[in-house]
Parts: sequence; structure tokens; C-alpha cells
Amino acid sequence: MFEALKGTWTDRLLLLVSLAAIMAGWIMIQAYVSSGPAMAEIYHADTLVATYPLPQKGEPPIHLQVEGELGLSEIVIDEQGARIASSPCATQRCVLSGPHRHAGDMVACVPNRILITLRGHAESGFDAIVE
Amino acid sequence: MKQIALSRPSLPELESKSRWLALLMLAIGLHVFEASLPSLGPWFKPGLANLVTLLALVLMGQRAAVTLAIGRVIVGSFFIGTLFTPTFIISMAGGLTAALVMIAAWRWIPGISLIGVSLLGALVHMLAQFVTVEFLFIQQAALYYALPPLLVISCISGWINGALAEYIAGRLGHE
Repeated sequence: MFEALKGTWTDRLLLLVSLAAIMAGWIMIQAYVSSGPAMAEIYHADTLVATYPLPQKGEPPIHLQVEGELGLSEIVIDEQGARIASSPCATQRCVLSGPHRHAGDMVACVPNRILITLRGHAESGFDAIVE
Repeated sequence: MKQIALSRPSLPELESKSRWLALLMLAIGLHVFEASLPSLGPWFKPGLANLVTLLALVLMGQRAAVTLAIGRVIVGSFFIGTLFTPTFIISMAGGLTAALVMIAAWRWIPGISLIGVSLLGALVHMLAQFVTVEFLFIQQAALYYALPPLLVISCISGWINGALAEYIAGRLGHE
């Protein structure tokens, strides 16, 4: 069975080069997005709509509505992370993906052209949630 | 009275068409099946439908692979209700780019097997989807923050799908 998964030397070389390139890119991206305080950035198409610091434990959640291509998307940012609570899109995949809380994570609703990205590291006591 | 000469297709021609249609049906079925799976991440799918494109390439040639990639996205999207939506455009970009890259790899990279071809197809499929979203829908480089872990998963799924394609092509008599 494992014989079938071995591939040729060319295949293995391609895998090695691909993984090396991916890892190098990953390290660079993480170094970039992990700097600064923990923030959620909300975009619509090519526009940065808002930037919010992630709430600390005990702080009230942030609710906001962003007008997208199809209508209003409701976004909630709380101590669990950032999520799209409701969306006018048909598939609702953005809503079902739930809260995201790690630096480099994103929530995207492509039909409504809404993107939430998370970056930065948290203050003390919040490191377990946003890395 | 003038008679119209109708040429009947030859048996090998009919066999080739029916084989392509069988692969198309399989690809459409897998496309719909993958759409019903729980999301493993934004735009991530196991790539089973792409495996059929790879089989079409090996068994029937590059033209069959490209037409199958286009056909399965169009008919599959019709079944899952995403025809001409952003999901359709992203699927088409990913499927078509992957097919073209797999054709190029199969033709021009010496020593490559279906595993390597599938690996490249999976990686390019994922990349093409992100580039399409950034180009057409959300013009933000921040999209690419999520790309590296998805590419790692694409490497794994592409490798396994390639091994499956090797096995299936071997069983179907491809040398």
C-alpha cells in the first residue's frame, strides 16, 4: 500500500521544493501578521472599512453591520474571536465557519465581498486566544 | 433526388465518446459530493473531481482533460445551484488552471508520475482560486494570510489523489 504512495524522485523533489517555498512564505507571513496588538481588520472589496482591537476577557463584544455587495453582513468581535453572525449570501459558509481568533486567520464572504482578517499578538492574559 | 451522405461514427470513436461521458458523469458526481461535504476551510476541497481530470488526461489526452474540467464545473454548478455565481467563477478558474498545469507537467517534466502531476494540479488549483478572489472580488493582499496552511493540505490531498489516479489508470490498462 505504501509503495503506491512513494512516487518518483521527480515527484519527491517537487514536493520538497513546494513545501520549502510554502514554509518560507508561511514564516514570513506569520512574522508580519503577528506584530503589534491583536486587531481585527474588516474589508469590503478594496476598502478597509474598520479596524477594531479584540476585546479582552470581560469586555463587551463589538457588533457592527457592514454593507456588502448583496446587503448587510453582521459582524461580532468578542473574546472568542471575530465572526460573521449573519450574511445575505446563499451558501452561509461564512456564518458556519464560526469565530476565528489566531493571527493570520480570516473569515471571507466572497459573494458579499466581505473579509475579516486577524493580526497581532494579545496583551497578557489573552495569549491563549490570539497568538 | 439528392441524397445526403451521413457518415456514421466508427466504433472506436463511439467508445471514446462514451468513455469521456462516463468520466464526465463521475466528475460531476464528485463535484456535487464535495460541495456537500462540511467545509474544511475557505474554498478547500479534497480535489476528487480534479482526479477525474487527471484520469482523462492520461487515458484520453489533453483536449479531453480540458473539456472535462470545463464541463464538470458548468454541469456540477447547475446541480448545486451556483451557476454563474462567484463560487462558479472560482471553481472554473481553479479547475481550468489546474487542468492546464497538469497537461504541461505531464508533457514537459521528465520523470514525473501522476503523483507529481496531481501535486502540482492541487497547488495551482488552490493558488488560482485565491488569485481569482483577489482579482475579481476582494482586492486585498490580506487574503493570502490564510494561503500557506491550505497549500500544505493541498500537497497532502494532491499526493494521495495522484496515487489513487496511478492505481485507477493501472487497473484501466494504461501503460
